[in-house]
Amino acid sequence: MKIQSAMVGALVAWASASAAQSPGIVLPDRLAPAARATILRLIDSAQSVGLPVTPLVNKTAEGVLKGADDQRIVRAVQSLARELGDARTALGATSDLALLGAAANALHAGLTVDELRRLRSASSAGNDALTSALVTLVDLVSRRVPLSDATRSMHDLLERRASEKQFAALRADVERDISAGQAPEAALRTRVGSQLRLLDAAPLDARRPPMR
Amino acid sequence: MHEDRADHLPSALDNAVQLLRKEEPVSTAWRDRVLRAVAEDDTAEAAEAPRRRLVPLRAAVAAAIVCAVGGSAATIGMMRRTRPAAFAVTMSPSRPGARTVLLPVHFSVVAPAAASVSIVGDFNRWSPTALPMKRSADGRTWEIDVELPQGRYNYSYLIDGRIARDPSAPQTEGGGDDFGMPNSVLMVSGT
Repeated sequence: MKIQSAMVGALVAWASASAAQSPGIVLPDRLAPAARATILRLIDSAQSVGLPVTPLVNKTAEGVLKGADDQRIVRAVQSLARELGDARTALGATSDLALLGAAANALHAGLTVDELRRLRSASSAGNDALTSALVTLVDLVSRRVPLSDATRSMHDLLERRASEKQFAALRADVERDISAGQAPEAALRTRVGSQLRLLDAAPLDARRPPMR
Repeated sequence: MHEDRADHLPSALDNAVQLLRKEEPVSTAWRDRVLRAVAEDDTAEAAEAPRRRLVPLRAAVAAAIVCAVGGSAATIGMMRRTRPAAFAVTMSPSRPGARTVLLPVHFSVVAPAAASVSIVGDFNRWSPTALPMKRSADGRTWEIDVELPQGRYNYSYLIDGRIARDPSAPQTEGGGDDFGMPNSVLMVSGT
């Protein structure tokens, strides 16, 4: 098992590196030549403007595993490439892959580029907190919390330098409340209110280490 | 995967191992220089960062993701954050000398009736065979320990060939439902 774990890490590192830097990107065999060519062109375009291509390769593989038809896979990859580009425009070229992926996902869920910029501006606790906020936002939206409520809540929490742990706790609490029968927006309002009171009561320097 | 096969690699990983082990033709002088540099680097690193070594994952007790599938068991809990004291370092083949810090992540899913369970996601290119999970002693839970670089990953379980998301993890609404099946999201962080 230990050998397997170590090799998974090596495989991930190798796969990411090869997808990011090798011209010989490997796509699943099942794709028809036309779809394969389209996706490779998309990947080339993304690469030429400095976007990460690993998410595009992964999206293709995900579609193949899930049995999606080629057209649907191409659409999903096109959409992701556009969202990664928009995410980088909003967040800046120094954003890491995790943040870009989370931001692209949030854009796909309905967040606008301007809202993403505002979240970025509100975030002074570093990329990890912003990534957690975006992951939480998408999760809340998928649980029928209105996007505007979720966005405002994430903004308020980021402004107060909420930590990754606090975003994770919020997500779990809201999920539990919704499962217990509360309306999604009410669950969010209650839980965010508690978090904000805690954050407002805590001294700023005790909330989180400074940005990396 | 059973105990007596614990050190055997699935074929996809085995292929990757063979690929990584394949030697590129280089000059003897270059090879000697690289080996000397690696040896010096390791010595220096060992002196200043003694924690940076492979440690058994089970001892790490880190990042437990426990979920119920099929409605027969309760979600027990989840914590994906890994312990910084337990990580491995591997060479990144893309940049000679560059290292990727790997953090242990434990996946666990309750699926008593399943005949096979694996985990698929961004970390294994959604390969259904790369990471088969192992049935635990209780006969109900399937588990696997993996080590991943810091990052954000979409993933799902593959239970008897059917995609099942992890109900205890954040889920994707947008990017993940392009194919009608939302994924779960894993964040691996060393902080």
